[in-house]
Amino acid sequence: MSNEIKLKSVLASIFQVDVNLINDETSVDSVEGWDSLTHMNLVLALEQVFNVSFTEEQTVEILNYPLIVITLAEHGVIC
Amino acid sequence: MDIIVNDLLNRFQYALKEHAQMPSFITYNQLYNMARTSAHELKLKAVKAAVLRNITVEPLLPIIGGEMVTLGFAPEIYIADFDAIHTEVFNPQSGLYKFSPDYFLIFQWLEILSPRFSSAFVSLSANEINLEISRLVSYFDRLFFNIRVNSPSPILLNNFPIPDFTTLGILDAQSENLQTYSLLQLNRDLVKVSHKYSGVYWIDTLKLFNLIGYQNSFDEKFWHIAKAPFSKNLLLPLGREFGKFFRCLNGKVKKCLVLDCDNTLWEGIVGEDGAKGIKITSSFQAFQQEVLNFYNRGILLALCSKNNEADVLEVFRDNSDMVLKIEHFATWYINWHDKAANLKQIASQLNIGLDSLVFVDDSVFECNLVREHAPEVVVIELKKYPSFYRKQLLSLGIFDSLSFTEEDKKRNEMYFFEGHRKELLEASHSVDDYLFSLQIKAKFGVVTDFELPRVCQLIQKTNQFNLTSRRYSEGELRLFVGDHNYDVFYINISDKVSSLGIVGVGIVCYKQRVAVINSFLLSCRSLGRGAENALLCLMINEAKAHGCTEIWGEYIPSKKNSQVAEFYKNNNFWFRATEGEVEVWSLVIESDTCYKDVHPKWIQVLSANGVL
Repeated sequence: MSNEIKLKSVLASIFQVDVNLINDETSVDSVEGWDSLTHMNLVLALEQVFNVSFTEEQTVEILNYPLIVITLAEHGVIC
Repeated sequence: MDIIVNDLLNRFQYALKEHAQMPSFITYNQLYNMARTSAHELKLKAVKAAVLRNITVEPLLPIIGGEMVTLGFAPEIYIADFDAIHTEVFNPQSGLYKFSPDYFLIFQWLEILSPRFSSAFVSLSANEINLEISRLVSYFDRLFFNIRVNSPSPILLNNFPIPDFTTLGILDAQSENLQTYSLLQLNRDLVKVSHKYSGVYWIDTLKLFNLIGYQNSFDEKFWHIAKAPFSKNLLLPLGREFGKFFRCLNGKVKKCLVLDCDNTLWEGIVGEDGAKGIKITSSFQAFQQEVLNFYNRGILLALCSKNNEADVLEVFRDNSDMVLKIEHFATWYINWHDKAANLKQIASQLNIGLDSLVFVDDSVFECNLVREHAPEVVVIELKKYPSFYRKQLLSLGIFDSLSFTEEDKKRNEMYFFEGHRKELLEASHSVDDYLFSLQIKAKFGVVTDFELPRVCQLIQKTNQFNLTSRRYSEGELRLFVGDHNYDVFYINISDKVSSLGIVGVGIVCYKQRVAVINSFLLSCRSLGRGAENALLCLMINEAKAHGCTEIWGEYIPSKKNSQVAEFYKNNNFWFRATEGEVEVWSLVIESDTCYKDVHPKWIQVLSANGVL
């Protein structure tokens, strides 16, 4: 499974949306179930699946798909 | 609509398969989400879990939920607010009790229950330490008491890990009154107080944190952001731990460990290297010792190897480095047939389900073959180096159980004795002669605290000779035992070869003139002696003594109990009605029939205190 598909699967799973609908517009504002609690679930899931540890700053800032991709890249994960 | 459901079922089966091969955060979430949206179409049984907590545990819930899904359940989770434990538990009208959960899952962190004990230990005087331990123990005591007043459902909760850094550093471990041992004392006292209540189970967080290290288990970042202590690395092991408890509490306990031989029990291939050429190195001896530990826990052992039988038996007989002996094995299938077929034979011979087997092999080929052709069997594929084999055997906790009784310790001995009985059978002329020659004695009585663990085990584990497959927890059984309208009976069998212990259970409900048999089961290894007929007759006798004129037997067909479909019919009951999934059979209790004497003639019945 490519990293991009993995990432989209995680988002689809956490927010219970169709994996094919995940794109650059996906953000805390566009997804209904994306709140502080599910955001934490998301961060934990990303850390688990990609074996990375986000900083406190990154944790609260990765609120949309492009930012997640960029931040993962900073940890060596290319999507 | 059918196509959609079919597609859904296929996707679910695929998800389960994926999960079995390589469980991950994603596979757990997938299963959990599918169960939440399509429980009915996927034919999953509803189960309710109530979560009480003083910390954030939401990331863990899909994993715990996913574990339930693998057992065939669709979990409905009620999650109480932070710090609502008091209001939920101590108020009988609370949402918690209205929800009527099948499980209580309680997560409490010591830092919140007792900030001083946890984060400012050095500020406590010796007296204050003891007082604080007492206060905490007393709090849990009241917690359990209040839950039990309102519900018999099992309670699963965490104990407390030892932090990576304790207040006094190297000094702490030098005294039993400082932080390290005080924490251990607290955990011990909590276990003790929980024994006052039935169905309270501890999730050993202390051990889990130890598994991957405190610093890999506790998430400092999320603790400060959201009071969420569990790190990403702990979520899977912690969730899986709950899975082990759910397995035990739902009768899905594995009964038999089947082992390959070459490069699994020893280094080398006996067919090529010869019985003297294979090596039992330290790694393999350690591995064999773990297998022997399972033997002593009452797990059956079997061999399944592609070899000439004589070669393998020669190793067992002549190699003095072997820790395992052939006598430890209940059966062995050493031949050139495919292993899936052999596993089916093993299950059939031992009279257990294929899904009670765990298969261990170092060969990818054999493991995949079994996964494909005998998917009910749990497969442990030995990977990497033999040094790591014993850990791979232990890590799944696949044989973990919530009881360890005398019957368990003696089970393998009994299988050994079975061989002895087979000799007697060959010697006698007819089955009846053989049965008389065994001098079977049955002890029949009402269940008390002494018999309860074993009876509960039977209720949970027995699948085939089980008329209704109703799974009661120890707490629920206790309620039956204490209720004047119910009787819980057991039957204990022994013969001149050995004692089989308690092998049968019957639960009767008395409704004025009618006695209803709500549960009736027998351990399959005791079949063939007529013990089931004896148990039934004695129960009818008791119903008669109670003043009943009719006795009804309930039968709920399941995938595994078709052999008892005609049991009541064969015992002269007539079919009364079907109520939903329950078949009700009825027998008129004749006032002039002495049911105490109608049992099979070759069984001598003793009462509970051993008298005729």
